Amino acid sequence: MPESPSSTKPAPVVRIHDMDFCYGSKTALHDINLEVEYHRVTALIGPSGCGKSTLLRCINRMNDRVVGARVSKGEILVKGKNIHDADVDLTQLRKQVGMVFQKSNPFPKTIYENVAYGLRVHGVKDKIAIDEAVQRALTQAALWDELKDRLHDHALGLSGGQQQRLCIARAIATMPDVLLMDEPCSALDPIATLKIEELITQLARDYTVVIVTHNMQQAVRVSDFTAFLHLGKLVEFAPTEELFTNPREKLTDSYLRGTFS
Amino acid sequence: MNNPFAGDNSSIQRRETLARWLLRLGSYVVVALTVSIFLFITVKGLPHALKPGFLTELTSTLHVIESNDGQVFKTNPVEADVIKKQLGDNFRSEKTISYSGGGILGPIVGTALLVIVSVTVALFLGVCCAIYLSEYAKKGKFLETVRLAILNLAGVPSVVFGLFGLGAFVLTAPVLTDAPADRAIFVIPLFFTNLSFQGWDTCVLSGGFTLAFVILPVIITASEQCLQAVPQGFRETSMALGATRWQTIWRSVLPFATPGILTSTILGIARAAGETAPIMFTAALAFKDKLPWQKDLPPLPADAGMFAHWEQSVQRFLGVFTESVQALPYHIYTLAAKIPQNEYSEQAQYGSVFVFLILVASLAATSIWLRIHLRKKYKW
Repeated sequence: MPESPSSTKPAPVVRIHDMDFCYGSKTALHDINLEVEYHRVTALIGPSGCGKSTLLRCINRMNDRVVGARVSKGEILVKGKNIHDADVDLTQLRKQVGMVFQKSNPFPKTIYENVAYGLRVHGVKDKIAIDEAVQRALTQAALWDELKDRLHDHALGLSGGQQQRLCIARAIATMPDVLLMDEPCSALDPIATLKIEELITQLARDYTVVIVTHNMQQAVRVSDFTAFLHLGKLVEFAPTEELFTNPREKLTDSYLRGTFS
Repeated sequence: MNNPFAGDNSSIQRRETLARWLLRLGSYVVVALTVSIFLFITVKGLPHALKPGFLTELTSTLHVIESNDGQVFKTNPVEADVIKKQLGDNFRSEKTISYSGGGILGPIVGTALLVIVSVTVALFLGVCCAIYLSEYAKKGKFLETVRLAILNLAGVPSVVFGLFGLGAFVLTAPVLTDAPADRAIFVIPLFFTNLSFQGWDTCVLSGGFTLAFVILPVIITASEQCLQAVPQGFRETSMALGATRWQTIWRSVLPFATPGILTSTILGIARAAGETAPIMFTAALAFKDKLPWQKDLPPLPADAGMFAHWEQSVQRFLGVFTESVQALPYHIYTLAAKIPQNEYSEQAQYGSVFVFLILVASLAATSIWLRIHLRKKYKW
């Protein structure tokens, strides 16, 4: 543990047990075991095609959209509940597990409507409740001061970094337990990246964050735990500092040294 | 050292010039043809189209009366009798040219009604089908078959649609009636009335449904393309926020596909308005002396209440769709197919063609304007 161990440590928010995942007959993930700690940032790193994005998208079942994609073994528990149980409502799961994508993709609507989208699809009608949620989400995404006077402007008028923070605000407006981020900075310039990284650290106060990144320095800067994946296997999972300074596995070590990528 | 690849530059340049001019010439020919068609129709049709009453009167038989002193009267059947009486011994000859007198209000109204019905039906069915194909259907054999069917539908000659409409809507389509006709194919008794498969007769409804099938392939194909053009990211984001598939379509896909769908709809309108064969057997009449809503309904008693008046208005409105009508393309066909042709029928014909062309051109212009306007509003 990076911090002093405490006796009242909350249970892991996401627990992945011996999970295999395949696209049709091709197995993409083997025997994944992972525990995502409450209100911590967990980073998934690894070379391209190692399955880190696939693993991330398993947690909110976004892979359901892909024909032939399925979890063939093991289970994923979010707050103790198996997400593949028959009684799981996909819309509720996704309310519980929010997601931010690689490419910032605000809807071509106003800033306000973008943030309110999740609430609206979940049937929230109360204008005051929506107003409050929008303000809270924008504040948490460090956008409120910049945008409070232009809430009804078109979202596509924002800069790239602002758009991505708007997407984060949109994802946290429904107060998810877990926030998944799929390479959220890969399309941004260094300054915008820095802002998002600061934001992620702050978000961990209120949310549990899982982030996929191809940038190892970013993993060091933002995460508490890091999982290293290679060829669909989880090679090593440890507190970030430990993994980067003293990796247990040879494979991790050579990846971190850049011997292969 | 000489570059071994440096060929004869002048011949390459010559070919370049040749190709450019050939392509340019082709474009010029297309423009020239279009302009000459428009000019031809305008020169021939504009004078007649501008005559008073051409757009506001019903079609009638044209009476041309000549007097002994060389006067020529072009008039309608009623006034013809008056003039003949006035002329007395001065009367020399009278020619009647059917369908060439009066105006074309009847055909304009008929075409408008047919277009309204066909576009309503085609838009509903077409957009439903396009949404299903684009958003719900799994890629595979079934989808391929449906696409092939749509493609084939687009290739069916329009007269075949006409015959299909005759068989399906005019003679077979079900109606609710207390007294089924003898020609009904079969009758399903319901406890308060009967569902009788006796057809809708030749009427706006039959013609509109037939035309809907003519433009359906255009609308489905165009709508599907417009839906596909909406970025996948919108769908993914929306689903990731917990929206159901329908919520996603309704909030984040359909609004952004609407400009394109409307544009294709307007082109569909132009197509539906112009088709002749599909309405020949299903809706169109060569001649009708009344507008569809000018129907004799039993007069209401003097003490009839609000409800009775309201009921009769509704009846009158619904009755419009069960009337057969004149339609612009069929009117043009009737005039053009008239033998022998003479200067009067020709004038009426080109006048109608001109009005029709203006109508289609303004629809196309609307579609372009709509596209520009909506793109501005829903860009991404």
